[in-house]
Amino acid sequence: MVNSYAGKFIRIDLSKEKIEVEPIPSDWKERFLGGVGIGAKILWDETDEKTAPLSPENRLVFLTGPVQGTLFPQSARYIVVTRSPLTGWWAHSSAGGFFGPELKYAGYDLLIIQGKSQRPVYIYIDNDFIQIRSAKHLWGKTIPETNQIIEKELGDSNVKIASIGPAGENLVRYACIMSDYYRAVGRAGLGCVMGYKNLKAVVVRGTKGLRPANPEKFMKLFEDWHSRYTPKGRYWEYVESMRKYGTFALVDWENAIGRLPTKNHWTGYFENAEETIGMEPHRKKHYKKHKSCFCCGIQCKYVSEVREGKWQGTVSEGPEYETVEAFTSNFLSHDTNALVRANYLCNIYGMDTITAGHTISFAYECYENGLLTKKDTGDRELIWGEEGMDTVLELLESIAKTKDDFSKLLALGSAEAARRIGGSAWKYAIHVNNLEASGQDPRPHKSMGLTYAINVRGADHLTSISCIDELGYKDEAKRRYKKIADIICDRWDERYKGFLISETEELHALCDSALLCKYGTMWPPIYYFEDYGKIISCLTGMEKYEDLKELSKLARRICHLRRAFNIRLGWTKKNDSLHPRLSVDPMPTGPAKGQTVDLETMLKEYYEIRKYDWATGFPSEKELFECDLKEVVQELKKKNKVIKNPKIPRTGRKWIRWDEK
Amino acid sequence: MKKILVIDEEKCTGCRMCEVVCSWWHEQEFNPALARIQIVSDKSESFDWAVVCQQCEKAMCQETCPAGAIYFNAEFNAYVVDEKKCIGCKMCISSCPVGAMGFNPEKGVSIKCDLCEGDPKCVKYCPAGAIEFIESEKVSLKKKYNVLQKFVQELESAGGK
Repeated sequence: MVNSYAGKFIRIDLSKEKIEVEPIPSDWKERFLGGVGIGAKILWDETDEKTAPLSPENRLVFLTGPVQGTLFPQSARYIVVTRSPLTGWWAHSSAGGFFGPELKYAGYDLLIIQGKSQRPVYIYIDNDFIQIRSAKHLWGKTIPETNQIIEKELGDSNVKIASIGPAGENLVRYACIMSDYYRAVGRAGLGCVMGYKNLKAVVVRGTKGLRPANPEKFMKLFEDWHSRYTPKGRYWEYVESMRKYGTFALVDWENAIGRLPTKNHWTGYFENAEETIGMEPHRKKHYKKHKSCFCCGIQCKYVSEVREGKWQGTVSEGPEYETVEAFTSNFLSHDTNALVRANYLCNIYGMDTITAGHTISFAYECYENGLLTKKDTGDRELIWGEEGMDTVLELLESIAKTKDDFSKLLALGSAEAARRIGGSAWKYAIHVNNLEASGQDPRPHKSMGLTYAINVRGADHLTSISCIDELGYKDEAKRRYKKIADIICDRWDERYKGFLISETEELHALCDSALLCKYGTMWPPIYYFEDYGKIISCLTGMEKYEDLKELSKLARRICHLRRAFNIRLGWTKKNDSLHPRLSVDPMPTGPAKGQTVDLETMLKEYYEIRKYDWATGFPSEKELFECDLKEVVQELKKKNKVIKNPKIPRTGRKWIRWDEK
Repeated sequence: MKKILVIDEEKCTGCRMCEVVCSWWHEQEFNPALARIQIVSDKSESFDWAVVCQQCEKAMCQETCPAGAIYFNAEFNAYVVDEKKCIGCKMCISSCPVGAMGFNPEKGVSIKCDLCEGDPKCVKYCPAGAIEFIESEKVSLKKKYNVLQKFVQELESAGGK
């Protein structure tokens, strides 16, 4: 049957330098759809609790979904899954750009990497031709250098390259995989796994075509989807803002609600942010050119440059909101030249800007509180504000190259560094389940607290964030939640947020499997469940997913499977928690002054809807069976980690699930 | 008046929506390799540009075609490849001065922009509004006004005017 899957996958065992191409099993497509769904199935089947993140047995899987390479107006992304060397838990991370669609055009939906190469190598895929090539000459090279050398030696400037920089080679625990020069598979250290495996890059070129299962229906829907990115669209004002400012607009919006992390998450308000690091000053001072990912209707990317001072001439795509926060307010700095420079350094060395920024700010706060002295820091003085930014920039380079003992310590991430420093250092390592909190603060946006607490990859915003309350989409809230829309939109009210986050987690699971971009799903909320049903149905021919009950089962199946992966590794209810600074420490300043987070209220709702056991956090046997996860029940049963009669909290609050409306 | 496709390189974001749309309309598949319009990007300079047939007055593709497979459609002012006549010799690809000719290896024929019978789909769906279908005489006039606008902006920001 014709559908928008490429139909095949590649498995490469780097230890044996063995390449295999196989058809995608229909069970993978039918039960797990694509992207993170199929990725979870592969990691579940092919690894276990003994598989160390940095071991030949760990898998690194590059995945696309049925959407990639089609005319769907947000079809750029690819996602990579593995067990994280930064957190020790489940990890997924995705990037836009052009790599994902190119893999499909080459004829493959996904690529499984296993083993560990004895020498630095890169993988070259040109349609049916697949080769493991030496990367000896690329080792030590930055991302742009790597790209340029490969393009030149292959004589093809249209190849799409996903590579690591020196940070990945040096096993920095939060190294990224960078594709198309500037797009980062950013979080949780997937580039570190690639570096461990001695894999410098994956290079793809494809010239094959794709077709939807139902072309007439697809093209009819395409007209509707396309119009949503025009002034006729309901969320045109946001699309227009994205095209002008990208994610930079968030700096202004977040500061206005006291949610812009400042001084290592101490507070959520940064004085004068709008005038110095906000969207307008950035556009005026640094904006160079607008960019976009593959075939995208939103087009939020841009290139920035430094036009004055000692970093003059620095050019790089971005910085995105998360990076802005990590390298300005996070250090009490208004210096945007240093920000653009920090973004550039992370891009060329291949490091996650969020974890890099927050690990360094963790060290700054340890220094401020006497837990680190110049003796520990290699004679570096760690001081907040603009004057401290030179040291931040120097540290970024030193960490990427693991130059000295202090940079080696920081290359482990804040959670592990805090353990090694000891004492009260943990107070300043603002992470959840070992992943540094991103540019969000739960205190002014309560649902964010639950998002951080229950996310399978730690304190990350992209696995279940709700923007309905965050950005105040009141009309959309009324359409979706009717009578309780006002409570949903109240950022400071914890009620119903557990239910809400279970819903966004399911929506994002579909988003990461189909595989769309979160923009368009969360901000602005252009696509909702019905849309996903139609997109999946007309592309894959699996019409059953237009039935919301089936779609819900698919979404829950993916959520349960990812959590089961963590449960197998030792995750319990205790992990569903928050750092005190993100919960019980009252917000000290700004519009949300005094706010704290009541996690339990939200967690009870979440457990109620997920049918998790309140004592252990383990899943319900019945629920897993209902979601067709027989293999998970069987394995968890052996370990006593699935509960026949779980004690599920009863909150008494009424919630109509999206698939029951 | 003869209309041509004009790319505004400042607006083009390099998203390649035009390629996917084009390949769908002409080949009923999503495949940028078969698109009649193609994006080239200088990644380090962040410069994007769409290459497409300029419908030359003296069309080298037509003149060098030994099979007489390229004809001028007067109704839509476009040179078109007659796939039945094309022998796949690729002379048109070699002779095109801008690199706008493509090749469909499966069909064994050259491919080129036919202006979608007067309604170019790349123009219709370009999210950045970077492709225009306008009379060639108006192209330079438009450019003159763009320069003027920039000049005024520069003056304003310098506090002059």
